[in-house]
Amino acid sequence: MKISNKLMIIVLLTAFEISLTLWSVFEIAKGATFHQLNFLHLKYNATFSDEILRLENGELLDIPLLKNNINNIRQQPVECLQQVSAFNKMIMRQIGTFQIIELCEKDIRDADSALDLLNQYTSGQLHYANLISELKMCSQTFNATSILFEEPTIKTVTFVMRTMIPLVIFISLFNILFITFMSRNITSSIDGVIQLLSKTNSKEDLETDINKNVSGELKTLLEVAKQRITNELMVTEVNQKLETLVEQRTFSLTRANDELAQFAYRASHDLKAPLTSTKMLAQFIIQDINEGQLQNALDDAEKIVKQMVKLEQLVIGILALTEADSIDQGVKDIDFQEILTEICASTSDLLAENDCIFEQKITLTQPMKAEKIRLLQIIENLVTNAIKYHDPNKERAFVKTTVLEKHNSYVVQVEDNGLGIPENRRSEVFQMFKRFHPKVSFGSGLGMAIVKKHVDYMQGTIDMTTSNKGTIFTISFPKGKSA
Amino acid sequence: MKQISVLIIDDSEIDRYVLKRQLNEVGVVDIFESDDGSSALEFLENYEENCKIYNKKFPPVVIFLDINMPIIGGFEFLDKFAELRNRLALKSCVIMMYSSSERAEDREKASSFDFVKDYMTKGEMNTQELRAKIEAL
Repeated sequence: MKISNKLMIIVLLTAFEISLTLWSVFEIAKGATFHQLNFLHLKYNATFSDEILRLENGELLDIPLLKNNINNIRQQPVECLQQVSAFNKMIMRQIGTFQIIELCEKDIRDADSALDLLNQYTSGQLHYANLISELKMCSQTFNATSILFEEPTIKTVTFVMRTMIPLVIFISLFNILFITFMSRNITSSIDGVIQLLSKTNSKEDLETDINKNVSGELKTLLEVAKQRITNELMVTEVNQKLETLVEQRTFSLTRANDELAQFAYRASHDLKAPLTSTKMLAQFIIQDINEGQLQNALDDAEKIVKQMVKLEQLVIGILALTEADSIDQGVKDIDFQEILTEICASTSDLLAENDCIFEQKITLTQPMKAEKIRLLQIIENLVTNAIKYHDPNKERAFVKTTVLEKHNSYVVQVEDNGLGIPENRRSEVFQMFKRFHPKVSFGSGLGMAIVKKHVDYMQGTIDMTTSNKGTIFTISFPKGKSA
Repeated sequence: MKQISVLIIDDSEIDRYVLKRQLNEVGVVDIFESDDGSSALEFLENYEENCKIYNKKFPPVVIFLDINMPIIGGFEFLDKFAELRNRLALKSCVIMMYSSSERAEDREKASSFDFVKDYMTKGEMNTQELRAKIEAL
């Protein structure tokens, strides 16, 4: 049962108890009023009786005074009847005190008869002696009625007291017990909910227990509270996620900013260096020409050409790096054979110059889908590095490119027997403007950064194994993710 | 012009060439060269032997030091040199930074070493200025 219904029953019972108590008090008070009216009836009858006695003693007849006395006597039964309700009458009939009503009615009739006697005398229909005698009779009747009225009145009041007071007490006790029961019932419902919520069981078990054991307003309260808490938790969770996201974004932005600053610094440094030296060399050339040192001027002019080549390489490298994110060539089936042939052609001079062998092996059952330019730049950078940084102390330099297919990935492997990456510099391999063998060959220092950028863009991974025996770069591209 | 020996530490062959020519023009002819901080440190560490080989030309009076170098850069070299000059008789040896970097923080960092006497920006120094700096030593 709902708590509100239980509380409503308590309210109704209390109202009933108060009503019954008030009614009892009122009924008992009504009994007292009856006694009071009867006392007044006796008093007025005594006055009436004294008046008759004075008339008998020969005093003058005062008709208005007598009428007033009789009307006073008549007033009490009238008032008595006015106060008696139908319910009172029913009870009086049940307990055998209905004669109160009959006596009142008789008293009114008697009073009316007495008034009629006075009227008969006034109209000359009745003699004075008869009038006095009849009025005396009336007085005696009034008196007798009063005496008869007292007993049923007492009996009725006694009944009311004996009946209603125990009833009120009984109902009050019942009420106390019922309210106590209801209070405990409500308290135990709340305690039950507290215990359910205090249990450390799972969310599903808790919901089952609540559905099974809780009903009414408490269930509604729990559902509303649950919804509120869920919403608040959701808001908290969303806030936490947002904070984490903001932190991550801030971190990555800070890192990107640092990288950009580093890039700007290194790029400007590396771009400025050949320009600065060219400026100085040009000044030397002017000086040498003026002094007739033409051979020196020629040597410096050649140096300028080398500086310009370096500058060109740098600019190409920087462009390739900055374009790596924005390439949009469209994903197509990759013809690795075509790529390797192109690379072989573009590096043929370098291969011949360094007496290096270019080996290739492709074993694919189905073509990889990707942007060709990215794969071309990846493999070309790795192959070019392998040739440039070959080890002249080894019998025959080689660079071996293998393309194979695994269950979930395509693998491109570039292996050489070159100088390898110095042990203390291996963590810098994919950083920009890093050169590990500046004496051997000049590069932009951007090739491996470009490779890494493409591999990351294609959601691939790149591993490196390197030693003084050579280096193996293994790149894996997950199937279905190649961009 | 007083005769001094110098050491140029720079990974750029062309920058070494440019500085060497300017030094020659101001009369400095005893010039050692290193292409990295690591090889320069090895050269200085080999103190006694180099003293014998180069006689009074070793140790160099001035070291021209580049900042960006592949293995041991300019600032790392300064840290190691600070320790080295206490160990070997290199107190009279001063350093002049010779870099294309114009960053204020690089200048401040370099000047925090008391043995760094100057900071020269590549391409902005002419022979007269270089002569004045050498003579001021």
